Amino acid sequence: MNTHPYLRAFLAGVFVPTLVLPVLLCVFIVVRLVLREPFPIERGLIFPMAVVPALWGAWNMLHLSSNVRTHLSLGVHGAVLPFLLLPSGAALATSLGILQLGASGVNWFQACFVPYVLIVPVFLAVLAGYYLVWKYVVGFVNRTLGIA
Amino acid sequence: MKATGNREQGTEGLAALLRAAVPPVSEDTQPKRDLWPQMQARLHEDGGNAARLKAVPWFDWALAGGVALVAVAFPAVVPVLLYYL
Repeated sequence: MNTHPYLRAFLAGVFVPTLVLPVLLCVFIVVRLVLREPFPIERGLIFPMAVVPALWGAWNMLHLSSNVRTHLSLGVHGAVLPFLLLPSGAALATSLGILQLGASGVNWFQACFVPYVLIVPVFLAVLAGYYLVWKYVVGFVNRTLGIA
Repeated sequence: MKATGNREQGTEGLAALLRAAVPPVSEDTQPKRDLWPQMQARLHEDGGNAARLKAVPWFDWALAGGVALVAVAFPAVVPVLLYYL
């Protein structure tokens, strides 16, 4: 299987976020349609449902093209992605009005307050999670599709 | 050209061209050897799930534990994590 390696790399990268989409849809249905909570959750869905999967696919394509030169492992390469996702996601959420930056923390959907001191351990956990998911799940899909 | 059966007029020549272009399939289409042992060896080359789990380094287990700990200790951040996944 030597044809279209970048297409297969994109599909392998998109695989994991695509699995999360039904979960997000369930959250949206429960929060907005069942519980009728006033959070504008649909405004924030564009980032995890459109931007994140495409970025994962493009990031995997980038690994395929750059790995010959950098020899960076897939896990470390994936762990770099949150450094791009966090500011872009926060900027988009702020512009859409679903994230307010306060003096002591950030407020999501005017309901979920996350203090700044909590952002550091959470970000480290995100890095660790991305490292593991990219190393084991995306790596497995890459091997299955014959691009690892 | 005379029509034959349901075939449209003028397609007989096309059918003949297609038959000439595609080589006939030979009678012996089976592989020369049994492929199952090779497939079985490939399935078992890692030694199964237990060996695969043993191959995971302790550092990765520690990271997974840390992620789980953060999710349990700060459940309010789980929606935020979902936003970034």
